[in-house]
Amino acid sequence: MSNRFESLLERLAGLSVLDRIVISLAALLAAVLVGGVLVFVSGAFASCRSGLQLGGTTFCYNPMQVYYELFLGALGHPLEGGWSLTNYSLGRTLQQTTLLIFAGLSVAVAFRAGLLNIGTQGQLVVGGLATAVTVVYAASIVPGGFVGTVVLIPLGVLAGAVGGGLYGAIPGALKAYADANEVITTIMLNIIAAGITSTLLSWQFQDPDSSNPETRPVPEYAEIPNIPVIGFEEVNFSLLALAFAVVLMIGMAWLLARTSFGYELRTSGEQPGAAAYGGVDEKRMTVASMTLSGALGGIGGAFWVLMVHGQWLENVPSLGFDGIAVSVLAGNSPIGVGAAAFLFGVFQSGSQSISTATSVPKELVGVLTGLIILFVAMPEFFRLIGRRYVAPGTTEPVRTDGGDPAVDDGGDGDA
Amino acid sequence: MTESDVETTDGTRSTEGVGRDAAGLSETGSDLAVHLDGITKRFPGVVANDDVDLRVERGTVHALLGENGAGKTTLMNVLYGLYEPEAGRVVVDGEERAFDSPRDAIDAGIGMIHQHFMLVDPMTIAENIALGNEPTKWFGMAIDRDRIRSEIRDLCDRYGFNVDPNAVVEDASVGVQQRVEILKALFRGADVLILDEPTAVLTPQEVEGLYDVLEELTDQGKTIIFITHKLEEATHAADAITVLRDGESVGTVDPGQTNREALAERMVGREVILEAESEPVETGEAVLSTRDVTVEDARGIEAVSGIDLDVHAGEVLGIAGVDGNGQSELIEAITGLRTPDEGTITYDGTDITAWSRRRRIENGMAYIPEDRQENGLVMPFDLVENGLLGSQRSPQFAAGGRIDWDGVRDHTEDIIETYDVRPPDANAAAQSFSGGNQQKFIVGREFERDPSLVVATHPTRGVDIGSTEFIHDRLLELRREGVAVLLVSSNLDEIRSLSDRLAVIYEGEFIDVTDPDDITEEDLGLRMAGQRPDEETHDGPDTGESQ
Repeated sequence: MSNRFESLLERLAGLSVLDRIVISLAALLAAVLVGGVLVFVSGAFASCRSGLQLGGTTFCYNPMQVYYELFLGALGHPLEGGWSLTNYSLGRTLQQTTLLIFAGLSVAVAFRAGLLNIGTQGQLVVGGLATAVTVVYAASIVPGGFVGTVVLIPLGVLAGAVGGGLYGAIPGALKAYADANEVITTIMLNIIAAGITSTLLSWQFQDPDSSNPETRPVPEYAEIPNIPVIGFEEVNFSLLALAFAVVLMIGMAWLLARTSFGYELRTSGEQPGAAAYGGVDEKRMTVASMTLSGALGGIGGAFWVLMVHGQWLENVPSLGFDGIAVSVLAGNSPIGVGAAAFLFGVFQSGSQSISTATSVPKELVGVLTGLIILFVAMPEFFRLIGRRYVAPGTTEPVRTDGGDPAVDDGGDGDA
Repeated sequence: MTESDVETTDGTRSTEGVGRDAAGLSETGSDLAVHLDGITKRFPGVVANDDVDLRVERGTVHALLGENGAGKTTLMNVLYGLYEPEAGRVVVDGEERAFDSPRDAIDAGIGMIHQHFMLVDPMTIAENIALGNEPTKWFGMAIDRDRIRSEIRDLCDRYGFNVDPNAVVEDASVGVQQRVEILKALFRGADVLILDEPTAVLTPQEVEGLYDVLEELTDQGKTIIFITHKLEEATHAADAITVLRDGESVGTVDPGQTNREALAERMVGREVILEAESEPVETGEAVLSTRDVTVEDARGIEAVSGIDLDVHAGEVLGIAGVDGNGQSELIEAITGLRTPDEGTITYDGTDITAWSRRRRIENGMAYIPEDRQENGLVMPFDLVENGLLGSQRSPQFAAGGRIDWDGVRDHTEDIIETYDVRPPDANAAAQSFSGGNQQKFIVGREFERDPSLVVATHPTRGVDIGSTEFIHDRLLELRREGVAVLLVSSNLDEIRSLSDRLAVIYEGEFIDVTDPDDITEEDLGLRMAGQRPDEETHDGPDTGESQ
């Protein structure tokens, strides 16, 4: 039994990209089937006026309709008449995609450096507040209009990156110089971030005209504009922001694959001993990668402020935590983060469509999306485990002497 | 072998043997325990075994000799049911077999002792031996421990093993653990034992003990196939030697009718000079000097106590010593992986004690690390990525922080070709190569760094003789070019033949520094055990001048 499991791990570890895509699609299909049965059966326990009568039982929910709403509803029902590209649902899907790309990248970069950054949420919260405060104050000096847009938005994004980056550097430094586990410190720093920002808000930055806990709104010209060409009027989404996220994503992939820094980061993540041997300053690399990770989270916060709300609110959605799931689903690859973020965006927006179109409860929709994530992420998850604990073995075609690949040939015992 | 050998195995098998001879499967009339006939095993891009024949007579030790990557282990994995051959027959005890898994092979009486033991450390020896084959009592409700113990005692008595079945494996020495592996195979009823590089992990005394065990086993009718790349072992322990080269069998020889040179030539395919010749070279300025270097190990215990050494340009300074006497800590302090607690390290006339590891690399310090899988290679990376390790900030490959992967690939392929890394696949992950080939790649990468100082720890550990010869030649070539070499090796032949001066380290101090030609192997052994030289023989631990 354990042998079979091990050989399965080995095979997973040796999969090609195409294999992995096929497996992901098959897993998606399986999750939809299992979820469909679940929805259908649940329908028997709900009360409704009309439903499918079967052997004296009324099945209230139609799984086909639920999945139709989940996937196509998230795109604004493109197969029905009167569809426009700039509809609310698609806008909301892409808005979430954009924000989740930043959060996902943040987690993925740390992961590649061998660090489990659970603190993206906190970095995003701090970065967002830094953005809102910086832009609100800078707006009083900078002229308005087009100049204001061009100056304030980059300034705001930069402020978010710096805020999030510094906040990410803290657990990095604690790890490097005090050997404090980053999982624990980042979780604690998430709570501290909520506390600090809330205190700062009530102390200084609260909007005096509002009874809600929020900062003063940034001027309208400092919000990320819904240009060019297509404007999403009904929802706060900007194609420009999505384009920036995609460029950042490609930039991160390039950084990891093609630069000295990226090489050192990956080497540290894969094998710290070899990194030290190769001349990487491990402590500095830990701080640097956590800072980069935090900066990416902070940029997520900046876009949440400048694109979605135009101000910082105390009630920050759990984008940072979703980022962890996005990154795992993407196998910690920056490009994969784009696809995974889009899937999560579809879920967010599709869930809303389901609740408007059907009577399926929100919780059940959560189960469906959870199943999909579980099914799609599991092979990837085991592949990562496989890569860590078993060398791609008997299926790997490269060995000629067939020796146990991960072990040494040993020393000269005849010395 | 003769019929009398057949008698020594149990009755049923000898009658089987008779039937087999009648069936004419053993054409020579001798009693073959294993007959591999025309085995061909391909992996995409390489033929690991090409029409290999192997005839192993019952009750003998049969050595399978070949270099790293010659196909020895692949052939045995075919016999053990791990690989399915594309062509050829596996005949065990005269019956043609097709093994789907090691389980089938075990049932057919074949046992394999892997190079790295598959034991559960916290469990007792008896539990490990019985694991997976526990006899039960009360209708399978409980394990019959008494029977396990008595069966193990019987086995130990029969083969003269001195093993305490109640001892915990992690407390046992490596030699004992190996015996446990052999007992495990015997417990499962193995008649043919395959040992994969069995001496690689043993001390010289344990190797002698292993030879005794092998003799006892064959005396009792068991058959041994043992995989090795070391000539001494093959000639010393085996009754017959089959040599593999590049996946092909190049014949079976009687060790009594051959010599090491002829065997080496057969194995490598050309003439091999077994001892590297190191002709005198004009030495230059001291490239590396340490003064009063003291290093504490991870537990805060002083591992290196005030070592002074000088390595001059064009000189090999060898450090001999039993592992764990401070060599590792000293080398790590010199290469920048560890900060010395006291003392100074000077390199090319500059005090580098506070330099980072990167700065030392950039200034021409090449380093072949002791642990290649922990430090020398990033195991999941392919060879191209590993070819960059240490040079990831160098202007040659990463000007302005951007990596020139095409340049790195060319460089990597050069290393693979020059240092004969097999299989020659730059895109394969480092972990998929055998240890010897990993080592060749590291040596190549470090030697081709254009160094002014090479720090080499066990540079040929696990490497086959053909490549060892090449590595030694290249090392001496670097020395001729004026490179300073600091060599640490536990292989006394290697360190004696390569070194211009030889320092013996014991408990963190140099016991003696001498010309390797002026010291006998016995004296060297005594120094390594901590005996200081007499006043009249050599100068003290100071290493001021060479020769």
